[in-house]
Amino acid sequence: MDFRRSMESKYRELLTSYLKGGSEQALYQSQKFSRNALERNIPPEEMVSLHKNLMIELFPDDFTAEMQESFDILLEVMVGYGFAYREHQNLKHIQQELRTEMEIAANVQQTLLGTEVPCVDGMDIGAISVPAKHMNGDYFHFVKDENNSVSIAIADVIGKGLPAALCMSMIKYAMDSLPENRKSPTVVLENLNRVVEQNVDLTMFITMLYGTYNTASHCFSYASAGHEPGLYYDATQDEFSELPAKGLLLGIDKKTKYREYEKEVMPGDMIILMSDGVTESRTEEGFIERETLLSLIKKYLHLSAQGVVQNVYKELEKLQDFQLRDDFTLIILRRKV
Amino acid sequence: MDNQSCVKIINEWDIVSARQLGRNVAKELGFGTVDQARITTAISELARNIFLYAGQGQICIEKMYESGKVGLRIISIDKGPGISDIRQVMEDGYSTSGGLGAGLPGVKRLMDEFMIDSNPGEGTDIQATKWLR
Amino acid sequence: MNININVNNNETLTEVTVNGEIDVYTAPKLKEELIPLSEKENVDMIVDLSGVSYMDSTGLGVFVGLFKNVRAHEGSFKIIGLSSRLQRLFEITGLADIIDISGKMEGEIR
Repeated sequence: MDFRRSMESKYRELLTSYLKGGSEQALYQSQKFSRNALERNIPPEEMVSLHKNLMIELFPDDFTAEMQESFDILLEVMVGYGFAYREHQNLKHIQQELRTEMEIAANVQQTLLGTEVPCVDGMDIGAISVPAKHMNGDYFHFVKDENNSVSIAIADVIGKGLPAALCMSMIKYAMDSLPENRKSPTVVLENLNRVVEQNVDLTMFITMLYGTYNTASHCFSYASAGHEPGLYYDATQDEFSELPAKGLLLGIDKKTKYREYEKEVMPGDMIILMSDGVTESRTEEGFIERETLLSLIKKYLHLSAQGVVQNVYKELEKLQDFQLRDDFTLIILRRKV
Repeated sequence: MDNQSCVKIINEWDIVSARQLGRNVAKELGFGTVDQARITTAISELARNIFLYAGQGQICIEKMYESGKVGLRIISIDKGPGISDIRQVMEDGYSTSGGLGAGLPGVKRLMDEFMIDSNPGEGTDIQATKWLR
Repeated sequence: MNININVNNNETLTEVTVNGEIDVYTAPKLKEELIPLSEKENVDMIVDLSGVSYMDSTGLGVFVGLFKNVRAHEGSFKIIGLSSRLQRLFEITGLADIIDISGKMEGEIR
């Protein structure tokens, strides 16, 4: 109530000072006044009423009845604006709550799906995964077993945000429940395919690439369920090639069979895995060309695998003007020389 | 009852009559122009809901005298389809999708007290009160 | 939203033409309009995507859903007019092996 009283005298001051000289100073003060009034949630109809009453008070003779009545129309219109304004205020509050909730959910997801990039003799591994919004629909997971071989899963759920993240948690759970001794890439994909086929919406699907790197034989065996193809970097030739892989998306047909591929990795060579958020990076001018991605990787080859993925991400983020359209995941496995 | 008068809402013009009734009573009780405009806006919203979604019903305006306080109560009654999820229509943002109950959170904010009772298939009763300060 | 969907339903054939971008924002509209069409018995559906400049995985999901529905109702489903970029998307995902994207218009065969 105090503010309302002081608001009235403040507004009277602004009004009289402006009517005397029409100064920009008074207009600037009015703008500051409105900020104050907004902070205290003064609705627009009250401002109109205040203005009208002050005019009557300041110009008892010249402010005609018609002029006064004209303010009734303005007042009525402003009640409508006030109606919308108060709804907007409340929606802003709700949005803030939702944002907080999403942030908490994102933290829970981090904990649930968290994986550590393993340290393996003779190998240099780097990984980065950045969600376009709060929640990540991309997923990667490393498992290092007793024989020192490393299994890696990289997956992408259709869409992004919360629905994708919920679905990802299901995949993670399904992977954890697979029996330890049956983790060949094709078996993993065929098992997950059955889980996804039974449990998700008609238009939902998941892509996944699952591979196992044998650190003794330096052989990478993998299978793909419709996932963005990986790349192989040949250090002696300084050349990239696509890792061949064919296989249907998870969740389309429960009888889908997957084929296993093998790639022998030479010293200094790299396996590069990614989600389509990398290849589908878009700038104002269009899609980022594959060549751009390859030259970016080459540019940072002298760094560790983690250094490469982080710098490639930074550059692509900049090229996209810091607005990711899709979740972004990039993984590099390099055989040390 | 002498303290209560009603307007049947059947077509759009009845919304104007309901507003007029509300404004007259509000003036008589001594509400200022801003509150008059808020009360009539609330009446408009409630009457529009009846007209658009319930088909027909009525708006009653009641003068309230309670422990020294003076107030105006809008009573909106219809025998329309009713609202199955009251919690949902009382949420902001729902009104933007239109439909039954649109604008009710706004009405609640314009008034001091608000009460709603609705059963699917039976209709909706709403009471909204503004007290004179 | 930047999408235009045109459905031409005659007795034997459901022809759909889509223009614009199919992404997370426009896909729900596409889904809403097309999924009901795919739930008829023995539906014969052709979708022309030659006017689609961009499609993300959400868009692909709609076509996966359409295909599953049509298959469940013993109909036929075909996509035509794929740009090379979209063609690649269908090939990577393995969908090219189960959905007819060969690109021939029904009219041209007759």
